[in-house]
Amino acid sequence: MPGPARSSATVRGMSLAADAAGVPDHPPAYGARLPPPEDDPLWFTRAVFYEVFIRGFFDGNDDGTGDLPGLTAKLDYLQWLGVDCLWLLPFYPSPLRDGGYDISDYFSVHPDYGTVDDLRTLLHQAHDRGIRVIADLVINHTSDQHPWFVESRSSRDNPKADWYVWNDDDQRWPEARVVFVDVERSNWTYDPVREQYYWHRFYAFQPDLNYTNPEVQEAILEVVRFWLDLGLDGFRLDAVPFLFQRDGTNGENLPETHALIRRIRAELDKGYPGRILLAEANGWPTDVADYFGAGDECHLCFHFPLMPRLFTAVRREQRFPITEILAQTPAAPAGAQWAIFLRNHDELTLEMVSEEERDYLFSEYARDPRMKRHMGIGRRLAPLLDRDRQLAELLFALILSLPGSPVIYYGDELLMGDNVYLGDRDSVRTPMQWTPDRNGGFSRADFAQLYLPPSMDPVYGFAAVNVEAQQRDPSSFLHWIRKMLGVRREFLVFGTGDFEVLTCANPSVLAYVRSDPDGADRTVLCIHNLSRFAQPAELHLGRFEGARPVEVLGRVPFPVVGASPYPVTLAPYDHQWYELVEGGPEAIDTELGFDPGLAGGGP
Amino acid sequence: MTISEPRAVEVPASLHGALAELVAALVAREPWWSKGDGAQADAAGLTDTDPEPAELPTPVVRSADVLQAGRPGLLSVVADVGDATIHRVLGLRAPGEESAFLPDADPAPLGLFDDTDGLAIVFDALTDASFCLALLRAVTGADDEPGPVRRARSGRDHDSLVFDDRLVLTVFKELPDADGPHPGLEMLLALDRVGFNHLIAPRAVWRRGSLDLGVVQDYPAGSTSGWALALTSLRDLYASGLPPDQAGGDFAVEAKRLGTMTARLHLGLDEAFGRVPGDPGAWADTVASVVRPVEPDLLDDPAVAAMLDDLRTSTTRCLAIRTHGDLHLGLVIRTDIGWLLADFPPGGAAGERSAEDARERAAENRPGSPARTAPVFRSPLVDVADMLWSFHRVAERAASERAPSEPPEVAALARAWEARNRRAYLSAYLATPGIGGIVPRVPGLVRSLVAAFQLERAALARPSPA
Repeated sequence: MPGPARSSATVRGMSLAADAAGVPDHPPAYGARLPPPEDDPLWFTRAVFYEVFIRGFFDGNDDGTGDLPGLTAKLDYLQWLGVDCLWLLPFYPSPLRDGGYDISDYFSVHPDYGTVDDLRTLLHQAHDRGIRVIADLVINHTSDQHPWFVESRSSRDNPKADWYVWNDDDQRWPEARVVFVDVERSNWTYDPVREQYYWHRFYAFQPDLNYTNPEVQEAILEVVRFWLDLGLDGFRLDAVPFLFQRDGTNGENLPETHALIRRIRAELDKGYPGRILLAEANGWPTDVADYFGAGDECHLCFHFPLMPRLFTAVRREQRFPITEILAQTPAAPAGAQWAIFLRNHDELTLEMVSEEERDYLFSEYARDPRMKRHMGIGRRLAPLLDRDRQLAELLFALILSLPGSPVIYYGDELLMGDNVYLGDRDSVRTPMQWTPDRNGGFSRADFAQLYLPPSMDPVYGFAAVNVEAQQRDPSSFLHWIRKMLGVRREFLVFGTGDFEVLTCANPSVLAYVRSDPDGADRTVLCIHNLSRFAQPAELHLGRFEGARPVEVLGRVPFPVVGASPYPVTLAPYDHQWYELVEGGPEAIDTELGFDPGLAGGGP
Repeated sequence: MTISEPRAVEVPASLHGALAELVAALVAREPWWSKGDGAQADAAGLTDTDPEPAELPTPVVRSADVLQAGRPGLLSVVADVGDATIHRVLGLRAPGEESAFLPDADPAPLGLFDDTDGLAIVFDALTDASFCLALLRAVTGADDEPGPVRRARSGRDHDSLVFDDRLVLTVFKELPDADGPHPGLEMLLALDRVGFNHLIAPRAVWRRGSLDLGVVQDYPAGSTSGWALALTSLRDLYASGLPPDQAGGDFAVEAKRLGTMTARLHLGLDEAFGRVPGDPGAWADTVASVVRPVEPDLLDDPAVAAMLDDLRTSTTRCLAIRTHGDLHLGLVIRTDIGWLLADFPPGGAAGERSAEDARERAAENRPGSPARTAPVFRSPLVDVADMLWSFHRVAERAASERAPSEPPEVAALARAWEARNRRAYLSAYLATPGIGGIVPRVPGLVRSLVAAFQLERAALARPSPA
């Protein structure tokens, strides 16, 4: 049921053709820039994702809250940046006690964000710009305000009585851990109306749906179809490991959970080929890989353990935290892909590291206790790195070249800051900083009306860090990352190629080769220095003897790989990417216009 | 794992004289031979500066086998040179045949050789990629093409050849026991049999009768030496100026894992080679006898004297096991699956000994052999003391890298780093399940033994005044 109709034409400073002609009622057309998903079903293996917190992105109607028309108005920016797919955080009606992850109506849009028609317009405009859009879907639980729960709790024999998980006592499934240990004491909460306990793996206001009830499964499939019919390119499935409970288990990753995901996937494959499922399953890679199924479950799974280890590696100045976890990561099956990221809308979660490592990361990155959230650190990328630009470039270079589809959190392309004095995870959800003007250009509402204050920090605030200034400054971080996204697009191997770590005696150096298993595509050598000091490296590139490394940004040819180890000098936190061009040095020299004499080869 | 005795076609004794000349030509090129017994040299390029070449004893061939007949041909020769028994692999090419020298190889032929296949030009086979590949095939018996080869190390004990970053072939060049197995390899195989898995898995052993001539192992791709990793930690520490527990590059987690690995090593050695009663008093006497020539005053230090006396009067039952004998950071490697022991003395039972290992040996003025002679049955704490000494050395080494103008805090940081990692290493070692069965459960005695063995280790590192 669409929410109250609202005209998108109120959006400032943009011309939406669709608005003038009325909202299109057909699914968004795929234009020349973007083939229909069924014609390019593996698009997600090459895509760079951009995570948008709609509330904080851009306010299209001056009410102090970001919205869908606001996001639509900023699509040109996202197209300029060069991202391939937007991931929208929940936009459904919700009491917003958990950032919208407490949905109270699956078939509508929260009035703060606009209307279903606004979403349709967004999809249309995004596809027109070559950008796909997926959205969060929370299927594990609803809000306690959802009509389904309101009815379910009203008695023990109403039609929805079994849509949630009820029990007479709070002793069942003691093996299941409490996820938000710092807030919730139990996974059961007593309901005085029904005089029973209901099950919730997260907050008490988020009762878990009962998927052993076939009606609930049917209802969720209807939700899936509704949004795909509207033109969404897929879903990010929130909290997937917890969908079922069973006696004697911890209620995570159960076979029945996988069966339900296969059912949803089958629905996609049947009616919506090329649309995707991205699983949020915070677990060990070998367990999470199960959510790929045999290519019949999720298309993408987040790789949670990699992220904290990237931060550990640069603090320890050695590659082993990264290579260790990658060595334990099963390759995604054909037609599937890992999703990798540096930061997201949640805390930097440390669930997937040992207690010892957690202590280490807390001491390195959250010296102020206010920075701690649940089992993690509530900080954005830039403050985590003490605003070290070289280090930020290094970490982005890693997630853009390691195996997986990178996901960029809004604002991190500017190195935006956070506000650890805001509660829960709001610290990393402050308004996007567009200009140095009032409210950072995010909204024309009164300051007091804003959903959260924009950062006015002297270093990270909108006066210093904003899109407008960085777009004007060709050496800004924003321009750098845009350039890197361009390079990534140019080399398909970053998305789909094989990954091989090279042996290097220097522990601070992480070097690897991305190559096409069929040999059809180009080969890229990526070398990274995880140390804040300059480092030497000698790489054994025997397999590539005779190839010439050509630096990918400047297309500068380097000396041909010989039989001896290839020496490389790396600046602090350096990253160097080279295409390994085969085919005989002379031919390449000619092709590149490379004159050894000019390059210092002597007379 | 296979034990392979490749193609035992012997070269007729009548040709041994010619082979001896070729071996002599090869040995004459090797700095550790050509410059006399005391010379040090290794892949790290450290050579003795003594300009006077010593007279080289003439090699006497004990046996020679044809590994690959015809041209190109491959011969494996075992010969006595003075007191030593050495092993060399010769490559035979017909005149005009193309070579495939590895980088830095000396392309000069060793000489000529004439057998039933006609005249051949002879080279050091381990400097030529195609001979190396033929050798690997002969040793493993496999026909597959293993890919590019490189020489990871060339030393007096052994050469290591790495194939496609997948396999490493170690060719023993000096045979510690002219008639028996190679003690390092023996230890590797025994530990592998009892399930100690902090080692580089052996794939094939090259054996001739009772002699071990080489071994093929998995190549530990992506690994780095413990010494390099410790230096990384120390450089971060010295630059940050923070206490070691607060510095980003803290090494304690690694020290802890090394402690556990050492304990598992000892449990494995105990299972593989058994145990004998140990005598702390005798150990104390050995320590004193090693320390006395180098630093006689030290034994008069009341604390040292009291410690050694404690050991002599100790009534606690101690055990001796076969120890590793040369445990230090340069011999352990960090891989993606944790720490591995890369080598077993007297060297050569595994892949790459790090360049640091060579440098350390040179700094301590000891030849390419372990500090202590293996195999011996001693307290397992000897190995523990060796590793702790290595912690000390690396902290010193990293401090010496800093400019002399550095604040004196660096020395304090070095001590703090050493203390922190020593604690982490020791506590993990002693906390390993089962270790109480071979190490005395008396903390004071453990402390004294470790301290005594460290004194001994420090004395061994110091050149005797004589």
